[in-house]
Amino acid sequence: MSMHRLSSNRTSQQALSNSDYTWEYEYYEYGPVSFEGLKAHKYSIVIGFWVGLAVFVIFMFFVLTLLTKTGVPHQDNTEPSEKRFRLNSFVADFGRPLESDKVFSRQIAEESRSLFHFYINEVEHLDKTKRSHKTPGLDSNICFQEVPRSSGRFEEELNCLTKFNIPNFVNTDQNSSLGEDDLLISEPPIILESKSVIPASHQILN
Amino acid sequence: MRTDRASEIIRLLGQTSIPSSENISAFSLNKTDCTQVVVPEEVFFTIAAVGILENLLVLIAVIRNKNLHLPMYFFICSLAVSDMLGSLYKTLENILIILCKMGYLKPRGDFETKMDDVIDSMFILSLLGSIFSLLTIAADRYITIFYALRYHNIMTLKRALIILAAIWTFCAGSGIAIAIFSHETAVVISFTILFPLMLIFILCLYIHMFLLARSHAKKIASLPTSTVHQRTNTKGAITLTIFLGVFLFCWAPFVLHILLMQFCPHNPYCACYMSIFQVNGTLILCNAVIDPMVYAFRSPELRSTFKKMFCCTRSNWK
Repeated sequence: MSMHRLSSNRTSQQALSNSDYTWEYEYYEYGPVSFEGLKAHKYSIVIGFWVGLAVFVIFMFFVLTLLTKTGVPHQDNTEPSEKRFRLNSFVADFGRPLESDKVFSRQIAEESRSLFHFYINEVEHLDKTKRSHKTPGLDSNICFQEVPRSSGRFEEELNCLTKFNIPNFVNTDQNSSLGEDDLLISEPPIILESKSVIPASHQILN
Repeated sequence: MRTDRASEIIRLLGQTSIPSSENISAFSLNKTDCTQVVVPEEVFFTIAAVGILENLLVLIAVIRNKNLHLPMYFFICSLAVSDMLGSLYKTLENILIILCKMGYLKPRGDFETKMDDVIDSMFILSLLGSIFSLLTIAADRYITIFYALRYHNIMTLKRALIILAAIWTFCAGSGIAIAIFSHETAVVISFTILFPLMLIFILCLYIHMFLLARSHAKKIASLPTSTVHQRTNTKGAITLTIFLGVFLFCWAPFVLHILLMQFCPHNPYCACYMSIFQVNGTLILCNAVIDPMVYAFRSPELRSTFKKMFCCTRSNWK
């Protein structure tokens, strides 16, 4: 290596003085680099590299921002309830250390609100079908008639409810390591604005 | 790998015994030469010290707080350790240079050459450890999002520790191997290819997570009474860009330097790029300072642990 070549020329003197303290490259022992006849500016690689890097990062930022706006379809393989649970557990945030528990409970409230809406809609629909077939004095018959017709619907509803209850179910199932840990585990690198979710849930809870 | 700063110690020790006149006659430098851009040692020391302190704080906080004994925080600790190693490398180098200045170190001794090798392998270990830690953090977050219900079964504490042990063993072995065989072109190329590959992989993971979060936000927005703004996704884009930007700006200059050093040391353009090596080293130190802010301090639990630590020390003083 070049260092060993240098050592063979060395004298035995070892004293250092500050005036000899210079920074030099090891590899300029290869020979002097000629700077004559340069077509471009001598720092062109430096400038080109940094400009390219900055352009690339800004380009990535714009691509990501555009992705949010153009709505590229994303194929989700999981159930919507599972994903909703995930989303709710993530929207727990970086910026609110004190409110993390409240945010989580609010988001569960928000989700249960949406499930509640679904349930209400289904029940209303069921009531409408019941009322449309109601005739006076034949309640028992109607009930019996209604039951088989609506049982399938009710079962569907039950299924839907259990399906939508999966988040709560999973929540209690994983109680052993729950609490703040659940939020911490599911902290995403992406900050989703939960401020907008909280006012919505405020409206619902109040 | 003979990084220039480390081997400059040896060079410096050898240089002093050569009279200055011989220097000038042996090397005819043009006036338009690219002289090296010198970063003062005080700046190096300050940034390295801040980096070491910050990462040490992260480690102490995770060790102290039982709630933080989770795979996610262990991966963040691994990143903190690798950043600390990088800052330590710079600090050690500076100390050795100062010792040389004062004349306490014997020039060209076996000790100095061995120290040079050890320091180089430590630096490569820190670099590889940093890259792999970032990869494990991204993979952990990916599993959290896409396998949320099975996360506790997939990423147990034991598995996380095994993964970390395997990564650090691999990095230590690679560091020693690369330091020994640093003159081989194949080693340099493989090292240089590893960097963009890791970056692209991490980017793919984060973009996939980002797309899922975006589709969820859209679904929430489609609910009747919710008012989710577009700002949520812009914030996500900003966060991703920060991750990507920090990684690139801090590591890419150094990697390019290694490439140019291997392939075109005599080219004047390459020589001018290589003259800013100390700035590149400073950027790596800055990475050690910025990484905890971007990864560790975003966790509310860790922040509250810090507050408790500082409040306790303050109350002890009183």
